Amino acid sequence: MTQNLEPNQTIKPFNFSKNFKQIPFYLLVSAYAFVIVLPLLTLFSASLRSDADLYAPTFLPPHFTLEPYRLALTSYPLGHYLLNSFLTSSLITLGVVITSSTAGYALARVKLPYRELIFGAIVGLLLVPGEITFLPLYLHVNSLGWLDTYTALIVPFIASPLGIFLMRQFLKSLPQDLFDAAKIDGAGHFRILWHVAIPLASSALGALAALTFLGAWNMYLWPLVTTQSKEMQTAQIAVSNLVSAEGSQWNVVAAGAILVLLPTLLAFLVAQKAFVSGIALGGLKG
Amino acid sequence: MNQSASSQTPASVAPQGSRLKHLKGEWLEGLLLLSPAVILLLSFIVYPTISGAVLSFQREDPFGKSREWAGFANYLELASRPEFLASMFTTLKFTLLVAPLELLLGLIAALLVWRPFAGSNFFRTLFFLTTAVPTSVAAVAWGWFLNPLSGWANWIVRALGLPVQPWLTDPSYAIWTLGVITAWAGVGFVAILLTAGLQGIPEDLYEAARLDGATAWVQFWKITLPLLSPTLFLVGLLTLFRSLTAFGQIHLLTKGGPAESTFVWVYRVYQDAFFNFRFTYAAAEGLTLFLALLLLAALQFRFFGRKVHYE
Repeated sequence: MTQNLEPNQTIKPFNFSKNFKQIPFYLLVSAYAFVIVLPLLTLFSASLRSDADLYAPTFLPPHFTLEPYRLALTSYPLGHYLLNSFLTSSLITLGVVITSSTAGYALARVKLPYRELIFGAIVGLLLVPGEITFLPLYLHVNSLGWLDTYTALIVPFIASPLGIFLMRQFLKSLPQDLFDAAKIDGAGHFRILWHVAIPLASSALGALAALTFLGAWNMYLWPLVTTQSKEMQTAQIAVSNLVSAEGSQWNVVAAGAILVLLPTLLAFLVAQKAFVSGIALGGLKG
Repeated sequence: MNQSASSQTPASVAPQGSRLKHLKGEWLEGLLLLSPAVILLLSFIVYPTISGAVLSFQREDPFGKSREWAGFANYLELASRPEFLASMFTTLKFTLLVAPLELLLGLIAALLVWRPFAGSNFFRTLFFLTTAVPTSVAAVAWGWFLNPLSGWANWIVRALGLPVQPWLTDPSYAIWTLGVITAWAGVGFVAILLTAGLQGIPEDLYEAARLDGATAWVQFWKITLPLLSPTLFLVGLLTLFRSLTAFGQIHLLTKGGPAESTFVWVYRVYQDAFFNFRFTYAAAEGLTLFLALLLLAALQFRFFGRKVHYE
């Protein structure tokens, strides 16, 4: 059973002191991660329990069941709410990507009068959160006759000061030569935007899209006040309704919440690397 | 080929007329690119902000049909109402807990995972995860976690030999519990931004410090913190805004209670507008929140802005 080692092959001795030193670090990281994920794990555990097992003091459900998911999907049109959220979030994201690219490009690369002033004003709008304007915006949208429509859920959000800011910063940071070359070839700004700027900005745009989608999916106050009919409500409001309707049936509420969490969670797990590196790229570093 | 001659000629040698024409073409293109976004921002952010301000100086008849000027009447009423002052105080308390806590928890997470190690991607995913958790789901998860009958929080407390805690049902606890929930929900995004910031610090600075025999502690205070300060400042503003405008988790978990102890500012605006139908009065509450937000942001600039170290 002895192995013949090549003369020049050395066995790396197991570095006891180095590996030993890392144990506290791994314990610390694991403990911190566990504490952060714990509320979600207990929610997931609750969603897999029958009514009888709901309050059993175990980490894992004593008997796994998908019954709460069936109940959440059949007693409430949860699929419809998810579709509403998906539709509105996707259209908002598409709109923000378009308006941020065009406006960001114009502010970074087109010689416009008062360009810096306009940019400064848009940056100033970053200081106005939606929770400040929601009441007058509600009255405005009401006078336009948009209440309880997809228009109210989408149109007010398809231009974003943050998106314009990020795209302008990114496009400004690119070397001028790239744009000069296209100009010498006789390309107008629309063609330069489409063929030069957008391909170069694809990673920043991807991160902006992910950020916008998450933000739109998370919207709570706005759909709460502008939707009245069940047909128009979004997944967030569905969770709120589920809590008021099924307050004691925590397993059904948990199953509904997990279903609302799933789309963004999966998207995040798939796109995490691109998302994180895009944010680093986007000039959020100050 | 000659059609685009004007744009090919360097501007300095082009005749005046063609240069003007070229500039006009450029302006037109720029305007076409810029105007959709600007029109949308004007209609859905600038206009509501201004109309909200105008509204706050008006009064409405009980049916909310006609409005007339009322000067500072709404503001005078605000200042005299104990429940509004209580909401202000609750919001400030909440913000003073949440903003620093979120920053601290996110910083710890970022410091643990910003350098690659075996398993770092896995831990990054777990630390960044709350970014993908919607407010409503966060609220439900914590509602269950803190459930008096079965919540894990109370099992842990009991295991430590302490009595079961009324996390969300005691007026003196509820706002702090909501603060922890809010900070938890923000940890992921803060950790992403700070990890990006940490990775932007040149590694050779650390190498030089190690050669000089600087401990990890000294490296943190002399390199990491000063060079991270621009990111920390920005993320600090973000956490300030997030905590001042928190709503969803409160609406879902406590509805402002118990005994109005979690009746934060935004919740007050929501309540007065959509349940008491006092739009002009609620607009005044909203505008004062905006002013408070600007004031706190300005204070942050004043006290931390000059300490920020820019390369």
